[in-house]
Amino acid sequence: MTGSFRELRFLAKDRAALLWLGIAVLVAGLSVFLGLREVAAQRTVLNELIEVDRAERDVLRGLHQDWGDVAYYTFHLTHDSPSDFAFAALGQRDTSPWKHHIRALALEGQIYETDAENPDFALIGRFDFAFAASMLAPLLLILLLHDLRSRERAAGRYELLGATAASRGSPWFVRAVLRVGALTLCLLVPLWAAGLLVGTGAAKLALASLVVALHIGFWWGFCAFVDRFGWSSPVNLTALIGAWLALAVVVPAAIESSVETAVPVPEGGEVMLTQREAVNDAWDLPKSATMEPFVERHPEWADYTQVGQSFEWKWYYAFQQVGDQIVEPLSRAYREGRIRRDRLAGTLAWLAPPALSTRALQAIAGTSMADSLAYEQRVRDFHAALRGYYYPRLFRDEVVSDASLGQRPEFPVVGK
Amino acid sequence: MPVLNAKALTVERSGQQVLKDVSFSMQQGQVHALLGGNGAGKSTTLLTFLGFLTPVSGSAHVQGRAVSENVSAARQAIAYLPEAATLYGHLNAYENLRYFLSLAKTDTDRRALDAALDRVALQAEAREMRMQTYSKGMRQKVAIAMAILRETPILLLDEPTAGLDPAAIDDFNRLVRDLAEAGRTVLLVTHDVYGACHVADRIHLLHKGELVGSFDRPSGMDRIDTEAVHAAFAAHAA
Ligand SMILES: Nc1ncnc2c1ncn2[C@@H]1O[C@H](COP(=O)(O)OP(=O)(O)O)[C@@H](O)[C@H]1O
Ligand SMILES: [Mg+2]
Repeated sequence: MTGSFRELRFLAKDRAALLWLGIAVLVAGLSVFLGLREVAAQRTVLNELIEVDRAERDVLRGLHQDWGDVAYYTFHLTHDSPSDFAFAALGQRDTSPWKHHIRALALEGQIYETDAENPDFALIGRFDFAFAASMLAPLLLILLLHDLRSRERAAGRYELLGATAASRGSPWFVRAVLRVGALTLCLLVPLWAAGLLVGTGAAKLALASLVVALHIGFWWGFCAFVDRFGWSSPVNLTALIGAWLALAVVVPAAIESSVETAVPVPEGGEVMLTQREAVNDAWDLPKSATMEPFVERHPEWADYTQVGQSFEWKWYYAFQQVGDQIVEPLSRAYREGRIRRDRLAGTLAWLAPPALSTRALQAIAGTSMADSLAYEQRVRDFHAALRGYYYPRLFRDEVVSDASLGQRPEFPVVGK
Repeated sequence: MPVLNAKALTVERSGQQVLKDVSFSMQQGQVHALLGGNGAGKSTTLLTFLGFLTPVSGSAHVQGRAVSENVSAARQAIAYLPEAATLYGHLNAYENLRYFLSLAKTDTDRRALDAALDRVALQAEAREMRMQTYSKGMRQKVAIAMAILRETPILLLDEPTAGLDPAAIDDFNRLVRDLAEAGRTVLLVTHDVYGACHVADRIHLLHKGELVGSFDRPSGMDRIDTEAVHAAFAAHAA
């Protein structure tokens, strides 16, 4: 205990160490602040949209006498609310859409509309806590640990320290523990403060803290390994920074590009364009070219396929659905490709602890690719429910009524 | 029983034999000086007694026990003053002393620290200043103070008078004699022939890792014959 106290006082006078620890607090604090601001902005946008969304549907109530018009003009906001930990790891919330305006028309184009220029796959994202803890923290740890022994050797104190301490606990381990512990705290305290502020679940904070501690533990082990060679401080620093460059930058980039090569995935925009073309073409095709594939999917409406006029709503909605059906294989390939890429990247991330740590934090934050795809699935399910609601009313030519409108599905809000 | 005993020490560093078959022993209360040119193996001898280097043959004994058997027992019995000792520049003299004494689990109050710093004549006004502002001699004084504060039976001092002015060297020599009279055993490394002759009971002349001569203080005399040591030193240097 007296040894820890002695080394703590020693650390408190080590200006270089204090500088790196101060930078750690700043970096963690800033990243958490930016994350909180981003999530708050997303929430504000969502809250406004949710209100407008409801108000719009209320206004539309009773405006249209025809189910075709109702379905055409009524939009539904679908959204993926940020979790109480999303501020720490924005992940896919930065690159994939988390809100849509959905109506009962062809879905694929609506889902991927926002996808046209968004990258759908990234190992390292923006400056959030995950970035600070996964990318920058190892650098700070390296700066704190690289010359622990080598600078004593260079100053001719190494043997003096060893001879003086004898077996009574050499200072090296305590010095390392204090530096590692201090860095971990400097990163985690801002995170915990933000967690308290926004009411993050304790389990999530504990798990995230564990991820951060394990990741720092890995780099500590690595620094200790390099230390064993007895090199000078500059050589240690060069070796460690080299390893950091490899594990934090080069390997993740290599993983990203090899995953992209290994698992080809169609563009989201391609899905959208193909579906839209199919829908546009349908106008000029014979009605049967729409109704036949439609009935294949919906045999229950086989008796309602007569389209006598040049335009009928049921035909219109049928070709919307057929547009989705045509693009289905492409869309499935797109989704499955992203899942496969994500899984492969997840496995390969074990080669690069910073990438692994980033992914782990995103998983805790509910901002992973899996979460993004789960949201996409909720949109699909909701859209299917909308069709299930409108089709009987369209095909049977029912009368629009308040009671009937009251049965229309609402997008379920999922708590995270 | 000899307090320090080198038995046919042969030590290699980076594959080179830097000590060859070196033997000598010290009784309690004696002062010995290792004399020799640069690279003669003086520091190597001290490091071997501290267990930082392991002899390829022969053995080093501290208080009758082989160092290789119990390194920490040997280290606990020894206060070591390294060559060109630089203590922590960002700490002042008191902080440095407290840090290292705490490392050795030696409790020392401020009065004892001041008493030791008085003994090495470090100016009082410098003691609260960061040691990076010290001259080489002032740094050396703090290191010597630390060695005496350890209150170990054995002191291994590597060029303790380097950087000291002549008056401080005289003080130091007197201090070493006092320590010996109090029963401490002191092995010091130097290339100051004159100083060694005044302070040591015996001088070992090292040349290229070999003991090439020993000079005893004749009984009844207050110093070793400087002329003879000089002559032997010069002969090997030539
Ligand atoms: N760290 C080291 N690694 C390898 N060889 C060393 C090291 N330090 C000293 N030596 C070599 O050991 C020999 C004895 O050195 P040393 O004991 O330091 O001499 P000195 O008598 O000047 O104290 C010299 O030849 C020196 O080059
Ligand atoms: Mg030397």
